[in-house]
Amino acid sequence: MDLAVHQRKLLGLIRDTYQVHPDDDAYIHGVAHSKDLKEARRNVFMWRIFVLERTAPLTFTYLKRRHLLEAALSTFIQQENISPFRETQAPAFLEAMGHHTDRLVASVAQFELALMKVKQGAPETHVVTWDIEPHALLKSLVTDLPLEGVPREGNYQIIVSRDVPSHFQIVSIETADENRNTYRGD
Amino acid sequence: MATLSTSCVDKGPRRSVAIGATYEGRDPYLLERMLPFVDYLEVTLETIAEVQGDTIALSDEIMSELKNVGDAAQIIVHGVGLSIGSHEGMSPTYFRLLDDFLEQIDVAWHSEHLGYTKVDGEHLGIMLAMPKTHESLDLVCRRVDEIQQRYGLPFLLENIVHVVPDFPGHYTDAAFLNALVERTGCGLILDVYNLECDAHNQGFDIPVFLNELKTEYVREMHVACGVEHNGFLLDVHSQLARNSTVQLAQQVIGKSPGSVRVVVYEFMPEAIPGLGHDAIAEQLGRLRTTFRN
Repeated sequence: MDLAVHQRKLLGLIRDTYQVHPDDDAYIHGVAHSKDLKEARRNVFMWRIFVLERTAPLTFTYLKRRHLLEAALSTFIQQENISPFRETQAPAFLEAMGHHTDRLVASVAQFELALMKVKQGAPETHVVTWDIEPHALLKSLVTDLPLEGVPREGNYQIIVSRDVPSHFQIVSIETADENRNTYRGD
Repeated sequence: MATLSTSCVDKGPRRSVAIGATYEGRDPYLLERMLPFVDYLEVTLETIAEVQGDTIALSDEIMSELKNVGDAAQIIVHGVGLSIGSHEGMSPTYFRLLDDFLEQIDVAWHSEHLGYTKVDGEHLGIMLAMPKTHESLDLVCRRVDEIQQRYGLPFLLENIVHVVPDFPGHYTDAAFLNALVERTGCGLILDVYNLECDAHNQGFDIPVFLNELKTEYVREMHVACGVEHNGFLLDVHSQLARNSTVQLAQQVIGKSPGSVRVVVYEFMPEAIPGLGHDAIAEQLGRLRTTFRN
């Protein structure tokens, strides 16, 4: 087996995207059925956990709290081309989670990614929509404390921009009186 | 371009082996705690790089920190993303970052891992060991020659953990490393914790390996410790080094006195809060006591 074929098959086995064929050699069959392979996949998972817990803390904590972390991260690992550069992993993860089918997960991830970009100097203004009043949830994620009570349902937006003091502002879009229903981040 | 520096930093009486530690920046208190005990700081480009617009670049903040280290310690660059063993080629991004780093900071030497992290541009999310075949050896030797010509600096390659069963190639692990250093003149990093992982996980025979390895080419040693999971010892660098790991490093140094220049304690930045600055400093102090004699 030449090096290219060897490496492509191992990539597929690590990502769980390669099905072993009867005519594959004994080594590939051996790897495919080894405990080592399962543990190698787990190893990839744990490395992502270590990095994302630090670099995408809001979304990581929310997924964990909702017991969605393992599934979300497994899908991310299988589908995304994860760079070894640590600082690229959080943006890629948050981009993927921004499309999560759970709307609140998507909102948290979109907000965290927007805030990250703005803090790094991006000039664009980002608008993230929410189905709940987000302040209480975000506060509980930042402090890693339980959410106090049930968040009020409604239509909210967070404006994320370097032109906003502390970079973000929560706005209720159900009332014209924004002054009474806004919260600026700190 | 950086100049080759081979002098040891003067930190008291001359010792046989210097001490080094991982430093990934943005933690000045940790740096302050470590510097009294270390002669070398190991910097990983992938960890000090950041996203700047649409590109990856070295963090200006961390580069300033490293420049300010001055004579307190020498810098050594230890990469993880070069992917020297990928069939399709090495990472151009890694070279761009290394070029940029070496333009700004003098290093004692630079190093990478004997393995690959990507295939056809797809990242594995982990590092895999090379199959020990003639084809692999030829490929790695060509690339080591290219790297040494490009930078004119000592270049070292490190043995990595085997996370999947080893391919039955043409060489043993030690014979592959021996052939590599004899053909290219590069040096070796021997990560003794990786050897312990392989012994624990794969039944790797460390004494047989060390007996065959030309340890006179080992310039740097790594000590670290991870956690056990499902019966596997993981190479995650989240713990203080065990006594067995330190003793194994001593054994290798004893086999070829004068060859090993530095023992580096490696820990990942994510582990620092759990380990604590004081424990890291104490670990380095113990290593210093152990290896200076």
